[in-house]
Amino acid sequence: MPRALTYHRPASLDDALALLALEDHVPLGGGTILNADDDPTPVAMVDLQALDLGGITPDGDEVTIGATTSLQEIANDDRVPEVIRRAARAELPSTLRTLATLGGTVAAAGPDSLLFAALLVHEARVDSVGPDGKSDHALADRPVSSGGLVVSVSVATDGFSTHEGTGRTPADTPIVSATARRTGQRMLLALTGVADRPTLVDPNDPTASLDPVGDFRGSAGYRLHLAGVLAARVVTASGGGT
Amino acid sequence: MEITLELNGVSRTLECQVHESLFRVLRREGMVSVRFGSASGETGASAVLLDGRLASSEVILAAQAEGHSVTTVESLNTDSSLHPIQAAFAATGAMQSGYSTPAMVLGTLALLEADPDPDDETIRDMLSGILDRETAYVKPVAAVRQAASVLRGAEAEPFRPLITEAMTDGRNPVDVDPADPAPDAPAAVPRLVPSRDVPPTSVVGQPEVKVDALRLVKGNPAFTADFETRGLLHAKVLRSPHAHARITAIDDSAARALPGVHAVLHHGNVERIKYASGGQSYPNPKPYDQVSFDDKVRHVGDRVAAVAADTPEIAEEACRLIQVDYQVLPAVFDELEAGGQGAPVIHDEADTVDIADRENNLVHHIYAQRGDVDAALASAEKVYEQTFRVHQVQQCPIEPHISVAWLDSDERLVVRTATQVPFHTRRMLAPLIGMDIKDVRVIKPRIGGGFGVKQEMLIEDIVAHLAIATRRPVQLELTRAEEFYASRTRHPQTLTYRTGIDVDGNLVAQELRLVGNTGPYGTHGYTVQVVSGLRGLSSYNCDNKRFDCDVVYTNIPVPGAYRGYGGPQALFGLEAHMEDIALDLGVDPIDFRRRNWVKVGDEMNIAPHLGEQGTTEEELDEYPRIASNGIEECVAQGARAIGWHRRLDSSWREPVERPNIRRGLGFAFCMHGTAIPFLDMGGCSIKLNDDGSFNMLVGATDLGTGADTVLGQIAAEVLGVPLNDIKVYSSDTDVTPFDTGAYASSTTYISGTAVKKAADVVRMRLKERAAMLLGIEVPCSIELRDRKAWAPDGRSVSLAEIALDSLHLNEQEQIMGTGSHVSPDCPPPFAAQFVELEVDIDTGQVTVVKMVMAVDCGVAINPITASGQVEGGMLQALGYAHCEEIVLDGDGTMVNPSFGPYPIYRADEMPETEVFLVQTMEDSGPFGAKAVAEIPKDGVAPAVRNAILNATGARINELPFTPERVHRALHRT
Repeated sequence: MPRALTYHRPASLDDALALLALEDHVPLGGGTILNADDDPTPVAMVDLQALDLGGITPDGDEVTIGATTSLQEIANDDRVPEVIRRAARAELPSTLRTLATLGGTVAAAGPDSLLFAALLVHEARVDSVGPDGKSDHALADRPVSSGGLVVSVSVATDGFSTHEGTGRTPADTPIVSATARRTGQRMLLALTGVADRPTLVDPNDPTASLDPVGDFRGSAGYRLHLAGVLAARVVTASGGGT
Repeated sequence: MEITLELNGVSRTLECQVHESLFRVLRREGMVSVRFGSASGETGASAVLLDGRLASSEVILAAQAEGHSVTTVESLNTDSSLHPIQAAFAATGAMQSGYSTPAMVLGTLALLEADPDPDDETIRDMLSGILDRETAYVKPVAAVRQAASVLRGAEAEPFRPLITEAMTDGRNPVDVDPADPAPDAPAAVPRLVPSRDVPPTSVVGQPEVKVDALRLVKGNPAFTADFETRGLLHAKVLRSPHAHARITAIDDSAARALPGVHAVLHHGNVERIKYASGGQSYPNPKPYDQVSFDDKVRHVGDRVAAVAADTPEIAEEACRLIQVDYQVLPAVFDELEAGGQGAPVIHDEADTVDIADRENNLVHHIYAQRGDVDAALASAEKVYEQTFRVHQVQQCPIEPHISVAWLDSDERLVVRTATQVPFHTRRMLAPLIGMDIKDVRVIKPRIGGGFGVKQEMLIEDIVAHLAIATRRPVQLELTRAEEFYASRTRHPQTLTYRTGIDVDGNLVAQELRLVGNTGPYGTHGYTVQVVSGLRGLSSYNCDNKRFDCDVVYTNIPVPGAYRGYGGPQALFGLEAHMEDIALDLGVDPIDFRRRNWVKVGDEMNIAPHLGEQGTTEEELDEYPRIASNGIEECVAQGARAIGWHRRLDSSWREPVERPNIRRGLGFAFCMHGTAIPFLDMGGCSIKLNDDGSFNMLVGATDLGTGADTVLGQIAAEVLGVPLNDIKVYSSDTDVTPFDTGAYASSTTYISGTAVKKAADVVRMRLKERAAMLLGIEVPCSIELRDRKAWAPDGRSVSLAEIALDSLHLNEQEQIMGTGSHVSPDCPPPFAAQFVELEVDIDTGQVTVVKMVMAVDCGVAINPITASGQVEGGMLQALGYAHCEEIVLDGDGTMVNPSFGPYPIYRADEMPETEVFLVQTMEDSGPFGAKAVAEIPKDGVAPAVRNAILNATGARINELPFTPERVHRALHRT
């Protein structure tokens, strides 16, 4: 873990933001990303656990999930859309998903994050606070502003969603995955593994603007191929494109 | 800082540093059940219950736990009894090394509180964060189910093998009726096919609970890190960032000046003494191409310097402060390029000798031939040639390498270390530190998995040098990344088979040309490739055989011993090659193999020519012969269990409802060895205690394999007592008899025979003393059973009475016996490996659905531990075939040195497995036993390859079968 020089557990968002405005102060959610980092650079930890940002609240066709809600809590809650629950479970194994938080996952915006992709197709909106005040924005626009904190994420619960991925083993983080959601005539399609973070693409031409970077798990060309195959599958399973 | 938390139900205020993990603080508080796997928490060995939720404590800051409840397994250890969950793990054989068992017990505790009757999917999801290289999760799932049942009020059902009726007469094949149902039992239950040739026994052959079960399920101190040492210093190693470079200068002044640093060692202040690090019998195979610290580095991660300091953080900081100037040299990574023009000379130093061709990085050229291969090939009806490439993988024990060294009160050096080879380590270490062997003591506690990677003196010299330099105890524990790129791995190879066939489908010639990549050092480089030749040319009868092998230096992370030891590489090539020949000939692949595979009475005609300590071309008067072989029964049981008849059913192979899926079945014939003849040696001593129990000391090293249990069962059988009356201790070079160590599938066979011999000595003396007490003139007429010595007339005297008499009353003596054993034989175990899988033809993704292995390991001394060996071996072999791979960038730096990027199979993705233990009576082994530990590594890769071929028609001759590689093969034009 990084060399933590100080540890803070602020009790309010204002206190947390004030601390995070200081140099070398970093937000600490569950710790699965930050505490697993072996970068020896000294940091000050700002632990978010006392901010009361956890919990899952349904409201009509939406459900709001607090930033410090663990992935395990999301996976366990049947008020959350199934594809998001499954993605939360697949994101990490049992001993880490009890710690990892939604806010951390959104802020990290990992290119292979299945949960991020599932949130995208469920039209996630991010409620965040930062140096410039509060913000309510679409996750598709940006995960979180620089220096800001995710407070909660709201997702639409309606529609039909499906997911396909290709990995080296069944539980491997997919090299490329496709997640689709249909509501009426509208289709949303998100891909992982083809850009620097999960991205929404045109269901009718899913690979049009992609320029993936290859690595040891899959070359750029192979990733592009998978994107086409998997997108077609989830689009078909969801009743075709629009 | 101070934190207050509830630890195992008690409010505690603890001192900690801001940067410390909860893991570190719990260990300091004596919660040794919480174990290190990786700093990023993905092994789950460190898992605790944080407010009742299973969580890896390595990624939790101690400060984060302030105000929370933390539960460890120690909370269950309120008295000598076991919690029902712990009891279930013990009863079902759900642990091997037991390193991560406490985490599994805690996970079960949390799960069953939330769901008293979980299904398998839920159990496997709970286990998904606790990586296990040993059990394949099969028996842990059974343990959770049994615990759930008991906690719901049911009686615990005995966990026993399912006795399964033989399908064959043991020698001849049968046609398997597709309508004949396979035996039905949970996956964790081994199917045991008894042989009429095996005499009845009382303790041998029984599913005894492991002798170390209590300490493992309770998380009691057992492993190297678990024992507190006053004044302990922590070591870290500065490692090379370059694949090949000369060190032109080292400035350690800043590191030495750092407060808390006690020693900094490197080539400038450590004597240069050459050695080979492989834990092998005397004399170690040459060349001796290593020194503790060199002025040249030969792979990324090679040693540059080592530091001992008050804390690991200070030692790390000191490493960063060491200034090293490198002259970076060209590097080479591919074995086929190592001897090419422009390739750098990796060992250009004058003091490394015995390199076959230094300028071309050729360490060894190995050659052996029987008959006249060229003439036979020239006259063959058909000749087939194929080339295969196998890759580099890591053993991945969940406990990384760890050693602690100190000077004892007599100023002898003591090393407590996670090793498979304590006696070899003592012998090899002593000259490096300028001590006599008698002044070095190596203690092997429990080991959290080895699989060959700990058949090495890897870090013991570092802690020894530092302990001598500081006169303080020093501990070095590798990080997970170091375990990947700075310990040992499996040798990559390029193998070319050439086989000649006559008109009847008989092999007339078989040649294996092999280029083995031994990386920058020759450790195990000779013997692994020799074993590849041995294993790769022994399965099939053929008068003309040739092994032609180059072993070359490169700059990859160092290969070494890995369970199977050259066998898995060779059998991948061989069994793929045989499959393709059969298909070309238009004959059934199993029938083709059957026509040629070795049978009882057949000669093993190349084995004596490929020895660990050299090859010989001299013809022998007599060759060893196969004495036991249960392969026909293995094939029949396995074929029925996998549904082998479906392989030609196109409606099954191409399911209409899933047009992108193709299904396939694959088979591989496996033959391995049992110990190294004339070389592996084990010793044992047994003494009688006052109460009629026995202390048994063995040098054999139980890696979690159940060796202590199996050896105890052998002694118990001979002495007529229950297993619990045999107290097994292994191993300590000051205390226990010599043993070459745990490798080469030798422990049950070699050490087991030593145990039997020692027990026979004790048994004879017990009979003589019983005869005195009973007034019997013929001691040999007395039988030992049920803790008593029985006269033919039905009178008896207990062993406790004999003990009291002999120790305290009459003609006092310590009844004790010793035994040692070395074998001229190497009886092969045999196995049939079957695999069922699905291939997504649009993406190339392979999903293995089921693996069945039917093994003839002679008599399984303990069918539960034996089946656990097969399950765990198949898991590792599946990773080898399917997904595991050390990936280097262009500069030789490993790009995936953590679990996840380097995937090992988790509980929630394992295919179904089924294990058959087919008994045969191997007269040369103790109670009929042969080996079982390594053969499960041999067949999965070729069976997967052949199943992909069956499913899709694609022949893929390179491992692993990653989606892109398979996709490329499917769409090759």
